[in-house]
Amino acid sequence: MNDSMSIPHLIMNASGVVQMVMLILVIGSILSWVVIFQRTFVMRRARKAHRAFEDRFWSGVDLNELYRETPAEQETQGAEHVFRAGFREFNRLLAKTRSPQAILEGVQRSMRVAWSREEDRLNLHLVFLATVASASPYIGLFGTVWGIMGSFQSLSMAQQATLATVAPWIAEALIATAMGLFAAIPAVIFYNRLSAESGRLLGKYEDFAEEFHSILHRNLQGRTDPGAD
Amino acid sequence: MARHDRRVGYGLPLVLAIALHLAILVASVIRFPERETEPPSTTIVQATLVSTETTTDQAQRAEEARARAAARQAEEEAAARAEEEAARQAEAEAVEAAEETARQAEEAERQRQAEAEAREEARRAAEEEAARRAEQAEAEAERRRQAEAEAEAEAERVRQAEAEAERVRQAEAEAERQRQAEAEAERVRQAEAEAERVRQAEAEAERVRQAEAEAERQRQAEAEAERQRQAEAEAERQRQAEAEAERQRQAEEQARRAVEAANQGLERAIEGEADNVANARQASEAANSFINLVRRAVEQAWVIPPNVPDGASAEVSVRLGPSGELFAATIGQSSGNSAFDRSAVQAVEAAAPFAELRQLPASAQRDYRQFNLRFRPGDIR
Repeated sequence: MNDSMSIPHLIMNASGVVQMVMLILVIGSILSWVVIFQRTFVMRRARKAHRAFEDRFWSGVDLNELYRETPAEQETQGAEHVFRAGFREFNRLLAKTRSPQAILEGVQRSMRVAWSREEDRLNLHLVFLATVASASPYIGLFGTVWGIMGSFQSLSMAQQATLATVAPWIAEALIATAMGLFAAIPAVIFYNRLSAESGRLLGKYEDFAEEFHSILHRNLQGRTDPGAD
Repeated sequence: MARHDRRVGYGLPLVLAIALHLAILVASVIRFPERETEPPSTTIVQATLVSTETTTDQAQRAEEARARAAARQAEEEAAARAEEEAARQAEAEAVEAAEETARQAEEAERQRQAEAEAREEARRAAEEEAARRAEQAEAEAERRRQAEAEAEAEAERVRQAEAEAERVRQAEAEAERQRQAEAEAERVRQAEAEAERVRQAEAEAERVRQAEAEAERQRQAEAEAERQRQAEAEAERQRQAEAEAERQRQAEEQARRAVEAANQGLERAIEGEADNVANARQASEAANSFINLVRRAVEQAWVIPPNVPDGASAEVSVRLGPSGELFAATIGQSSGNSAFDRSAVQAVEAAAPFAELRQLPASAQRDYRQFNLRFRPGDIR
């Protein structure tokens, strides 16, 4: 194997279009890996935060105390955010209306909004990952087709077509496909993994919201009953 | 769990992603060349024609011949010029002698005195140191030549030069004969036979050129004769002078004929050299295409055995029949791997009838019936 068939040499000698394709694929790969790392960190942190919050929530602490302990709205995440939104709405409505139905509806709405924000936050950039995963093989294939086209064009001018004259062209064309797959495969794997993770987390938030809702409901029943009596 | 840490930023992931790509790049750069050494060496083949000593030899000889022809031409031209000059000088002298015998006698005396002086001086100079003596003698000879016998001295020098050239030529010829020891004479004869046609065509043009040259020379001679006749008219009274002039003219004629003969010989020699050069060039051109054909055919027929050590190289000397059939293919220089050697010989045998040999010019065919092929695997150009 001499120097002319090494991969960096082939990349350097590729035609302009193929090099452009390779550049796009490299950038796509780097960005997808940035997203993969960032999302992984976010998911891990969200999972940890959720576990900690649930522990605290079910430890029998007073809800008012818990609400006071949690930071301001913008800084909370996950189930904490849902809890905060719901409890604040509950407190506000409690002062204004006596109808438990209206209170619970308001709480549910605000919790759904918070949950939707959480969903948005967790799924941020995952679409980019999906795009890289599905598009980069095609981009790489385009580079390969273009390179092989060029190789055949140059071959038509050559007097004698041996394997040695075709080989470098095809090798450098195939590098584009290899790079497309190189970008696509991790993107596919991590897209699946991360979207499953975010789905699971969102499911947990939803469960928590339901539980919290039922607690408030129970609380309201207990409170409205003496009020009604 | 009072305080949440901030949201995850993009700086660390970016660094990690770039580091990952760089690591992959480095890994590919370092590892790929080593890993791919095994497969391609068996697939790519190159056979190179190594020895075509005959063509290069011929080309060299052509060069030499050209140089030699130029040298000889210069020499002979100088000789011819000297002879002409000598003739003219002699003639002028004769006229003068006819005109002024008395003065000639005086002059002769003076010359004799000068000669005596010269001789004396020469003797003295011989006694003195060598360099000065040579210089003086030269100066003396110059003066003397101007006085009387420039032509003779010139002729002498020319003759010496010719003798020297002759000696040089003989030495060259000997060297050449040694070099051409193998089949040289045969090739030359073939080349000449081929060149015969060309020479005939050129001979026509040559004859025309010669006729022109002759006319030119005739004109010159006539002009010379005119001048002569004028001198004669001046010296009309003296019949001696006339007779002398007549004799002079005859001498001139002879000189001219001698020059002519010399020129013709020279031209023939140049012609022969030019033919040789043209043949060599033609042969080398045809040979190149033939070599390429052979190389390609052998390359395609070559099946390299597995497990050939890197850098193995075998030389196969091939001998062909007159129509391109294979007489013998033997290992000239073994690679040390018998399987490899065998594969090389088999490749030549498989590619064997090189019918393209018949398309070569007849003179080149003989040279390319024996050549060496070097087999070297894993060479990508």
